[in-house]
Amino acid sequence: MIDEFAAIKGDSQGYWKLLLGMGALLMLGGLAFIYIEVNGHGVTGMNNTVVWGLPHIFAISLLVMASGSLNLGSMSTIFAVKHFKQFGRFSAFLAIVMLAGGLAVLVLDLGRPDRMLLVMMHMNFRSMFTWNVFLYSGFTVLCFLYLWSMFQYPQFTKVAGSAAFAWRFVLTTGTGSIFGVIHAREVFHSAITAPTFVAISLTSGTALSILLLLTTFRLTERELDLRLLHALRNALIFFLLLVLYLLIVEKFTKFYSPAFYDVESWILTGSYAWLYWGGVVLLGVVGPLLILFNSHWGNQIGGIALASVMVVVGLFCFVGFVLIAGQAYPMNMFPGYEMSSVFQDGMEGSYTPTLWELMLGLGGVGVSGVLYLLGIRFFRLLPKKATAPQGWDVAWHP
Amino acid sequence: MTMATLERRAVLGLGGALAAGVTLAPGMTLLAAPAERTEASAGRRWAMLIDTNKCTPNCTSCLSACRKENNVPLFGEASRDIHWIRKVEIRDKEQRRPTVNLPVLCNHCENPPCVHVCPTEASFVRKDGIVLVDEHRCIGCRYCMIACPYKARSLVYHETKRGPESNPEVPIRSKGVVEKCTFCVHRLDNGQMPACVEACQGEGKGAMLFGDLNDPRSEIAKRLHTVATKTIRADLGLKPRVYYQGL
Ligand code: SF4
Ligand code: SF4
Repeated sequence: MIDEFAAIKGDSQGYWKLLLGMGALLMLGGLAFIYIEVNGHGVTGMNNTVVWGLPHIFAISLLVMASGSLNLGSMSTIFAVKHFKQFGRFSAFLAIVMLAGGLAVLVLDLGRPDRMLLVMMHMNFRSMFTWNVFLYSGFTVLCFLYLWSMFQYPQFTKVAGSAAFAWRFVLTTGTGSIFGVIHAREVFHSAITAPTFVAISLTSGTALSILLLLTTFRLTERELDLRLLHALRNALIFFLLLVLYLLIVEKFTKFYSPAFYDVESWILTGSYAWLYWGGVVLLGVVGPLLILFNSHWGNQIGGIALASVMVVVGLFCFVGFVLIAGQAYPMNMFPGYEMSSVFQDGMEGSYTPTLWELMLGLGGVGVSGVLYLLGIRFFRLLPKKATAPQGWDVAWHP
Repeated sequence: MTMATLERRAVLGLGGALAAGVTLAPGMTLLAAPAERTEASAGRRWAMLIDTNKCTPNCTSCLSACRKENNVPLFGEASRDIHWIRKVEIRDKEQRRPTVNLPVLCNHCENPPCVHVCPTEASFVRKDGIVLVDEHRCIGCRYCMIACPYKARSLVYHETKRGPESNPEVPIRSKGVVEKCTFCVHRLDNGQMPACVEACQGEGKGAMLFGDLNDPRSEIAKRLHTVATKTIRADLGLKPRVYYQGL
């Protein structure tokens, strides 16, 4: 069943083009970093109301997908779905490369990235950022160990895989808590913010894995059993329902209390409502569910791939919404009053990203892309042929 | 607390942001030290009381005084200009209560979320309760700006230069880091009032009162005992040290 693993040849024109493309993105990111560093954040669209912008959307989205990328590995190591064992190496490696891309953008967007080492030297353990430094480094180490065990010491795979699995929950809880714990921001201050990030990491990580497996196997002319794809589709449906559930519970809880009427009505009808309804709800959850539940599309490669693309775009929309709408919504300093000042108090914040920010964000995608392409070329990460045993099928089809 | 932290805090305790900005190496400073200094004392709790009844809508003396004193530039971009203190107008949504004008600045909170979230301890609380940013340690992550419920912090988006008008006793604002009101810590350590308070008194308004909460003989301590005051969003539990009368 589990065929031998093999690195891809990587000598085709297509491979080199892809590598060059990703390398170009990386270079663009580097260029943008230098430009922003020299000229200051004045060349971005960020301001004193919206202080985190497009680079953060890229960074956090990549980090959320990093944790979700471990799904396939966990399915075999933790949940004993044997047929996914063949994707364990791919899964752990993908988690590492996504993490690298996300962290690169996060660090390079700092106002003073040259002082990054200070974070290591002076740690404030009350800060969610400090915790995230530990969570990210710990996750990288655990993914390496997990990967290494799969290559060399299969007897330790269960331990390493379980540790990485537990860690990724804490990790994404930490990422979500960067926002969830902040009392000042009504849009995202909620105990449910972190679990929603975890659920979205499950959907987006699975969707990304589906897309990468489909393209990699197709481009390298390897065989990918459709039944495995159907199993992933079922997992994706389950995760999507989980996200939907959390979104509904949050809205239900908030709308129960008059204290939240203003902010919640703004979320659902205000200037960023298009992003919430169109991006988070429709593209990110409902649209993919409709496709995957459809008896025709839900069983087709094309339908599953389309739903996966929507889920990944939906993740960017979700993170974008939390970040931008969360900051744009005016601080409620004097409840019951309207306020105005030269510092734009009481006004909705505005934010139009510049090309430099887009380049910096895409640089992170470039980092992950280059590492992935090099990884599958130099290491035996993927099976020559991904199959499931004869007579086996997933329990449910739309 | 490490030795290094203690030392840093001692330096900032002596000269506040000033010393941090101008000390190049031990014994080597860019600027002459003021003659008399008082060390930050754990026994003190600096606080401000603003009487909104005395603060007139068009007066911006405190704002200009702050800009001048602390070398806070205006870039001419509304969304990116730095404001250590600003005048805010609040209007009752149901139009039952009067419109009020008041200056808003860093509240030097007793439980400051900006300090809690700062990963590098660049934001810290001095012994006398003043919340400061060590501009040499800030990495410009802006998490503190996300966490402060009073929008008291600004990122310096552009390069700033020292000019003939600049106050030589205070560093110029430094690109890429986050800054905010220091309660004019350099003046306090020299036995002076914050520049905004002095300007307000100079205008004959006397809307701002500044002093040590822990000193029962101080005017501010007495006033807080006798008049009804409020802090902004007291419900958040941050214990702000800027009190308002007439809110
Ligand atoms: S007002 Fe804001 S910046 Fe000032 S101490 Fe409080 S939380 Fe920090
Ligand atoms: S921007 Fe500077 S002061 Fe603010 S949290 Fe980050 S390191 Fe601390």
